Amino acid sequence: MKKETHIHAAERFLSNKKNAEWHDETLWQTRTKRDRQAALIPEWEQLRELASKIKMHTITHLDRYLEQFATAAEKNGATVHWAKDAAEHNAIVLQILQQHEASKLVKSKSMLTEECNLNPFLFEKGIDVVESDLGERILQLMDIPPSHIVMPAIHIQREDVGKLFEEKLQTEKGNADPTYLTRAMRQCLREKFLASTVAMTGANFGIAETGDVVVCTNEANADMGTSSAKVHIVSMGIEKVIPSHDALSVFVRLLARSATGQPSTSYTSHYQKPQKGGELHIILVDNGRSDNLADKDHIQTLKCIRCGACMNTCPVYRRSGGYSYSYFIPGPIGINLGMLKDPKNYYTNLSACTLCFSCNSVCPVQVDLGNQIYKWRQGLNAIGKANRTKKVMSDGMRMMFQQSGVYHAAVKAAPLMNLMPRALIYCKANKWGIGREVPQFAKQSFTSWWKKEVQKR
Amino acid sequence: MPLIALDAIHYSDKVEQFVEVSKSVGGNAVVLREGEDINVLIRSLYPDAGKSASNVPGIDAVINPDDVRTSQELNGISLGIVQGVFGVAENGCVWVVQNVKERSLYFISEYLVILIDKDQLVDNMHEAYKKVQFNDYGFGCFISGPSKTADIEQALVVGAHGAKGVTVILR
Repeated sequence: MKKETHIHAAERFLSNKKNAEWHDETLWQTRTKRDRQAALIPEWEQLRELASKIKMHTITHLDRYLEQFATAAEKNGATVHWAKDAAEHNAIVLQILQQHEASKLVKSKSMLTEECNLNPFLFEKGIDVVESDLGERILQLMDIPPSHIVMPAIHIQREDVGKLFEEKLQTEKGNADPTYLTRAMRQCLREKFLASTVAMTGANFGIAETGDVVVCTNEANADMGTSSAKVHIVSMGIEKVIPSHDALSVFVRLLARSATGQPSTSYTSHYQKPQKGGELHIILVDNGRSDNLADKDHIQTLKCIRCGACMNTCPVYRRSGGYSYSYFIPGPIGINLGMLKDPKNYYTNLSACTLCFSCNSVCPVQVDLGNQIYKWRQGLNAIGKANRTKKVMSDGMRMMFQQSGVYHAAVKAAPLMNLMPRALIYCKANKWGIGREVPQFAKQSFTSWWKKEVQKR
Repeated sequence: MPLIALDAIHYSDKVEQFVEVSKSVGGNAVVLREGEDINVLIRSLYPDAGKSASNVPGIDAVINPDDVRTSQELNGISLGIVQGVFGVAENGCVWVVQNVKERSLYFISEYLVILIDKDQLVDNMHEAYKKVQFNDYGFGCFISGPSKTADIEQALVVGAHGAKGVTVILR
């Protein structure tokens, strides 16, 4: 099936003008909050530079750091699993659940488990998966995917959450107060937390030197899960490993400030050992990451710490919403990750970029997001996905600019455009004509004016 | 590994900065005055608190969390009073290393009081991580203010799944 292009999906998003404006403004506010926090730290730019260097260093010495991490984690009493792809990852999770005869799994937010399609897999095997982040839980109950990696339900209005909870949580009819609704979910999930024997989290960082896994949340959902259940499964991409706590100090200063404009997340939890009488399983997932290491044009995507700042600042994302992208991660980083995953499948997302490079300038680890999108576009013809109309036009222009006779004839004929009927100029083939006016051509070209007025003197 | 040699932020008055930033993240920080009774202060901060839990010596509490059999038994604790190790002036974080039988006390309590020594404040996270140490429990957490969410229309709600309020007492 042909995927819907970004432009068409964006059109759908924009048809609800009020929501679209709200989305744009709200994300811009988050960007503004990020700016305020950044301005409070005089060494902010140095931190970004350092974070970028540490990540580059780590991902280019990943063999060493992964081994160090795994050894340290096992010494701490954790069990380390290696998964080369999503299928292996999911099978390991299922196996752990089966070993503990668990039919329930309480999860905190993890983009990696989205990447691996873990939830549908587990449901099929009869496991009741409960997302515990409020936004993720709302989406799970609605049976729709996240539209932002940090604020997953950013596209949902409070009235819709109210209606959903009326049905699923038996809340008061017509009550859409965020505090009321949040507290209702608190109560509902409290029971799930207390009853679960296995809890799962993602990982923001894994520390090679000390073997601890670091998870950052605001809600305390990761900790409610992992402190109630005796078995903790961590799903962690191999690029999440960093050398030491010293290195971590750089990233935690950047993460929350960049993501939501907070000086820190409410909880920065370090899981070093299993609970007494419990188990800590760490699944290290490759799923294509080691292939990305060999791609020098796009290796920098592996530095990403998933803060979402590139989405909040992106003029296209803000005005088109997360669902306008065909890859499950939207925005500038999602365009790039989608291309790394499967270029022929996700190349249409490349059009969702104005090359304004705002993402580059806010990224806390200095991923060259805009440059990479540009490079992917340059390679579209090579994978047979260049736009046909644009190809014809480029070929035509090349011919024109290479032959001065043709060029001068074209310049001379250009003013005739002014006389053409609108219907012809703004026809279907002219995508630039949507929302734009063609400027009037001057009656006389610069060259002929120069020859007449200047050279004569 | 690149050398981390930063002239990182520091504050002329760490206590003042810590108190200020704690409030900005929805939490609270108070300094115990000379001669003030800590138990009186805690009661004045949380006059309506129901069942309290603490294993900190000299702190009044209804139950000792080290006596519970399971973490589930801590559900319903109204006020948890715990010992923190040090605070961070730049972001209001307090490093809490597990020192109770069930670490859920830090998250399941409706309200949380964290005690730290007044002279245990550092300027920034670089200094903080130089002090981070684990014990046999192998769990530690930087806590900055109460549990919160803005997942419904970006409206800030305090008290998502963890504590609805956090007060750090510097003594």
